[in-house]
Amino acid sequence: MNSILLTLVQFVATLAIAPFVVGLVRLFKARLQGRHGASPFLPYITYATLLKKQMVISKSTSWVFRLVPFVVLASTLFLVCVLPLVVFGGALSHLGHFMIIAGVLALGTAFLVMGGLESASAFGGMGASREMTLASLVEPAMIATFATFAVVTGAFTVDTMFASANILTSPALLPAIAALIMIALAENARYPVDNPATHLELTMVHEAMVLEYSGPYLAMLEYASGLKLTIFSLLVANVLFPMTLAVDATLIAIIMALGWMIIKVVIVSFLLALLESMIAKMRFYRMQEYLTIAFFFALAGLVFALIHITL
Amino acid sequence: MSFPKLLNRLFLGPRVTEKQESFLKTDEEFETVGAELKSIVINLYGGRSLRIRAVDGGSTNAEEIELTALNNAYYDIDRFGLSFVASPRHADMVWVTGPVTRNLERAVRTTYEAAPEPCIVVAIGDGACTGGIWKDSYAVVGALDKVIPVHIKIPGDPPTPTQILRGVLNALKQSSSK
Amino acid sequence: MNFSFFVLLSLAGTLLAALVSCISAKGQGHRAVMTLLALSTGLGAIASAVFLLSGQSQLAISQSVWFFSTPFALSTLSALFFFLLNTVACLASVYAIKYVEQYAEIYNVRVLDGLMAIFVLGMQGVLLSSAPFGFLVFWEVMSISSFFLVMADKQAASVRAALFYLIMTHLGAGAILAGFLILSGSSIFEPFTRLAVLAQSLPPQTLFGVFLLFLFGFGSKAGLVPFHVWLPEAHPQAPSHISALMSGVMLKMALYGFLVMTFSVLPIRSSTEALIVIALGLLSAVYGVIYAVIERDVKRVLAFSSIENMGIIFTMIGVAMLVKSQGMDTFAHVAIGAALLFAIAHAFFKSGLFMGAGVMVHAAHSRSLEVMGGFSKRMPVFSGSMLILALAAAALPPFSAFMAEWTFIQNLVANLSQMSPFIQGVLVLVLVTMALVGGLALFAMIKLFGIGFLAEPRSEHAAHAKAPDALIAVPIFALAALTIFVGACAPWILSIIGFADLTSFETWHTNLVVAEATLNPLVLFDVLIALFLVVFVARRLLSNKKHERPYHTWDCGQPITSGMEYTATAFSSPIRFFFRMITRTKKNVIATPVLASNPWIASRIFSLDLRQIWYDVLYVPIQHACLWTSTQVRKLQNGVIQFYIALIFIALVVTLTIAL
Repeated sequence: MNSILLTLVQFVATLAIAPFVVGLVRLFKARLQGRHGASPFLPYITYATLLKKQMVISKSTSWVFRLVPFVVLASTLFLVCVLPLVVFGGALSHLGHFMIIAGVLALGTAFLVMGGLESASAFGGMGASREMTLASLVEPAMIATFATFAVVTGAFTVDTMFASANILTSPALLPAIAALIMIALAENARYPVDNPATHLELTMVHEAMVLEYSGPYLAMLEYASGLKLTIFSLLVANVLFPMTLAVDATLIAIIMALGWMIIKVVIVSFLLALLESMIAKMRFYRMQEYLTIAFFFALAGLVFALIHITL
Repeated sequence: MSFPKLLNRLFLGPRVTEKQESFLKTDEEFETVGAELKSIVINLYGGRSLRIRAVDGGSTNAEEIELTALNNAYYDIDRFGLSFVASPRHADMVWVTGPVTRNLERAVRTTYEAAPEPCIVVAIGDGACTGGIWKDSYAVVGALDKVIPVHIKIPGDPPTPTQILRGVLNALKQSSSK
Repeated sequence: MNFSFFVLLSLAGTLLAALVSCISAKGQGHRAVMTLLALSTGLGAIASAVFLLSGQSQLAISQSVWFFSTPFALSTLSALFFFLLNTVACLASVYAIKYVEQYAEIYNVRVLDGLMAIFVLGMQGVLLSSAPFGFLVFWEVMSISSFFLVMADKQAASVRAALFYLIMTHLGAGAILAGFLILSGSSIFEPFTRLAVLAQSLPPQTLFGVFLLFLFGFGSKAGLVPFHVWLPEAHPQAPSHISALMSGVMLKMALYGFLVMTFSVLPIRSSTEALIVIALGLLSAVYGVIYAVIERDVKRVLAFSSIENMGIIFTMIGVAMLVKSQGMDTFAHVAIGAALLFAIAHAFFKSGLFMGAGVMVHAAHSRSLEVMGGFSKRMPVFSGSMLILALAAAALPPFSAFMAEWTFIQNLVANLSQMSPFIQGVLVLVLVTMALVGGLALFAMIKLFGIGFLAEPRSEHAAHAKAPDALIAVPIFALAALTIFVGACAPWILSIIGFADLTSFETWHTNLVVAEATLNPLVLFDVLIALFLVVFVARRLLSNKKHERPYHTWDCGQPITSGMEYTATAFSSPIRFFFRMITRTKKNVIATPVLASNPWIASRIFSLDLRQIWYDVLYVPIQHACLWTSTQVRKLQNGVIQFYIALIFIALVVTLTIAL
C-alpha cells in the first residue's frame, strides 16, 4: 500500500511538472540570451491548445503512424513508473532493471523513428536515420554506465542502485555519472547532439521526425519528450543527491521530496540552459566521437570499480 | 566582464526587451476580418500559445527581415507565447508575406491546407494585403485573400516589427476580450 | 505413455512425404505432400513437446541393428531442438502450399517438395542419432538436400552460391568426421556416451585439436565469422520457406552439435578453447550486425542478422565454457540457459521474418529494399505481425530475445566482481560488445521494417501489393504469436528445458530469477499494456477523436514523389560512415554529361560496393594458393609417357620406403 502510494505520488508529480521543466529551460535560455522569455508555464497552454486542434494526417501513412504517439508516450510513462525520480521503493521499481530501462527507451525511439519514416518525406527519413544512429550508439554507453552502478552497488534495479550509490565512498562512479550526463544530453536531443530550437530541417534530428504530426498526436509526442527531459534531469540530480528522495509515504517525507524535486529541476534546467548557451552543436558526422567519449567514460568507471573491488 | 557579473546582468539587470505594454496600447486600428477569428481565438485559450508558420509568397524579403527581427532580444516574440515552427502541421497561424506570385500560389495554398484547423492567416505587408506596387501585374495573383481566407491584415511596406506585433497582439486581444 | 512411437511415426510421415512427391505426376501432389509434411512434423512437434512437459530426461526411440546399431534417442536438449525443428517445419510446409504455387513456373515443384521433406528428415535424424555414424549420415542428408534446395531456381547466382555452400559445408563435415575419428580411435559406430569415456584418456593436445575441428565443422555450418561467407550467399537464394528452415533451424543443428560435443563429449580443460569461441562469437556478432545494417537486400539483411544472432549465442556458450573452466558451474548453467532461450527465440522470429520476406519479395518482384515500401498500408495485418517479429529480432522488451539477453547480462554483471582480472576484462568486453550489437541490431530491424513497410511504395509493383493469401499469412502470425509467447512465458519455458533453478514460482506467476534479481515477464507485459491503455483512454478523454483530415505529406510547396524518400542506403549511411574502417564500402558515382556543351548537366549513376573484407583477406589468398598449386601440378601433365612411368616408379619407391 505504502509503495503504491509512493508510485502514485511520483507518477502524478512527474507528469504535472514535465511541461514546466520544458518551459523553464526555454526561459533560462531566453534570459541568457538577454531576452525576456516566455512564462515557464507556457507549455501547459501549448499542449492544451494542441489537444483542441484538428489533426492533419498524411495520406502516405498507415496504422503505424497512429500507433507511434501511443507507444512513445506509454514507454515514457513506464520509465516514470519504475525509475527513482521522486521516491525510492515504488510499487513497480522491481521492474527497473537497467536492461529493461535501456530496452524501453530503445522501444520508444524505435517507434519515433518509424513515425519519422512514415511521413514519406526526405526530412522525416533524415531525422529517423540520425535518431536511429544515435540511439544505437548510445546503447553500449548506457549499458556500461548502468553496469558500473550495478558492480559498485551490487544492485540491479536503478531504484536500489541509486539508493545505495554513494559517490563519496566509490569514486569509480564519477566517470559513470559523467557518461550518464552525456547520454542524457544525447537521449533528449539537446546540445551538442541536437538543437531543440532549430527551424532548419537539415540540422534537425528529433524535430525532423515529428514534422508530420499535428494536433493531439503532436501534443503526445512533445509531452513525451518533455517527460523524458524531466526524467533524465531528475535522474542526474538523484544520482548526486539520493537523500532528497522520499523513502516512506509519510506526509512530511512526500512534501519534502516534492519540494526537493522542484529545486532539482530548477537547478538542472539552469545548468542545461547554461550549457546550451555556452557550447556549439556538433556536426552530426562527428557524433561517433562524442558517443565514444561517453562510452569510454562509462567503461573507465566500470574498470575503476572492478579494480576498486578487487583491491 | 567576469562570468558572475554576466549572469547577474542577464538575470537581474535591466532588460533590453521593450516593455510589453508598448505593443498592446495603440490607437491604430488594425483590420480584422469577420467574427471567425473571434471564435478561433476563444477556442484556442485566448491565443496565449500560438505557433507560426511563415510563408514567403513572393515578397522582396523586406518583410522577412522584419520577421527575423521579431526573434531578437528587443522584440522577443516568445514572451507573447508566439513562436515560429518548422512545419505547417504544428502551426496555429500562417503568416504570409508578399503579393502571391503565380509561382508561389501553390505553395501558399498548400501551406494553408496543410495546417490543421483552426488556423489564423495573417497577411503581412502591403503586398499580401492589397498586392502593393505589384497589384494587377501579370506575374502575381494579387492580394492574399484571393488565394486563402485572411483573418488579420498588417499593412506597411514593410511593416516594422513593432507594427507587426501590435497588429497581431491587438487583433488577438480584441477577439478574446469581446 | 510411449512417445517414441509418435516420433517414429513423424519420421515415417516425413519419409512418406518425400516418396509421394517422387511418385506423383508432374504438377500434381504438391498440396498432398505439403499437407503430409505439415502433419508429420506437427506430430513430431507435439510428441517432443509432450515429452518435454513430462519431465523425463531420456527417451530411447529405437536401438535397431540395421543402421549399424545407431541408437536413436531424445534427450531434453535434443527434444528441445526437435520441437523447434518440427514446429518451424510444420509452419513452413503450410506456408509452402500457396507460396510455391506462386512460383510454379520457376521451380520444379515435385523436386522442391521432395527435397524439402528429405531436408527435414535429415535434420530430424541428426537430432535423434546419438552415435557419430547416424549423426554424420543425416548431417550429409541435410547438407546435400539443402545444397540442391539453394539452387532450386537454377539461376547462375544460385548455382554459384550453392556450390560455395557445398564446399564450405563439406569442409565442415570433413572436420567433424575427423574429430569423431580421432576421438573414438578410427571407429564411427561408438555412441556419444562411449566417446565421452574415451575422450577422458586422450592427451590434452589431441583434445584441443579435436575441439578445433569441431569448432570449425559446426562453426562453419552456424555461419561464424570467418567461415560465414557462404551463408549470406546461400540463404537468400533459396525459396523463402527453405530460407526460413535453413536460417531458423539448420543453424540450430550446428548449435546442437556443438553443444553436445563441447559439454557432453569433450571434457573442458582450459580457458583457451572458451576464449576462441568467445572471440569468434563476438566477431560474428559485430561483423554480422554491421552488414545487416548496411545491406539493402531484404533476405541478405536477415542472413547477416542470423550470423549476428548465432554470434551472440556462441558468445554466451563461450562465456559458459570460460566460467566452467574456472569452476563457476552456476554461472555456466545460466549462460547456457540464456543461449538456449535465445536459440528458441531466434528459431521463431527468424523463420517468421524469412517467410515474411518471401511475401515482400513476391509483392515487390525484387529482393531489394529500395523498391519496397508502403506495405503497411496495403497489407496491414501482415505488417503487424512482421513488426512484432522485427521488434523481437531487435531484442526489445518485452519480446523473447530480450529475455535471453536480460538473463545473460544480468548474470554476467552480477558475477563480474568475483572473477580474476583477466576474466573480468573478457567479460567486460563481452558486455559492451553485446550492448553495441544490440543497438545496431535494432537499427537493422527498424531499417528492414521502416524502409520495407512504411511510407510510399518506391516501385510500381510495390504499389500494387496485395495482402498475402491466408495460408501464407497464418504461419507468419503463428510465429509472431509464438515469439510473444516465448517472451511472456520465458521462465516457464526455461523450467521445462531443464533450467528450473532460474525460475521461482509464486502464487499465480513464474519469475525469472538470475543472481538474486527477479523479473516477471508477464508483469512487464501487463504494465506496458496497462500504460498503453492509460494513454489511449487519456487521449480519448482529452480531445475529440474524429477531428482529423487527410492531406498529403508536407512538401514545402513542391510536389514530392516516392523517389525523394529515404532509402535503405541513405538510412544506414551514418553507420556505414562510422564503421568505414571495418566495412570498406566503396561509393561509386559515375557522371556522364547529357549535353556536350555543358558538363555540369550530367546523369549520375550511384552504386555502392558492399564487398566483404573476408573475401580479400582470407578467401582470395586461399583461392590463389589453390590455383597456383594446381598450375604447378599441371606441369607434370606433359604428355610424355616415359615421364609418367618415371613418376609411377618414384611413387612406388617412396611408398615402399615409407611402408618398410
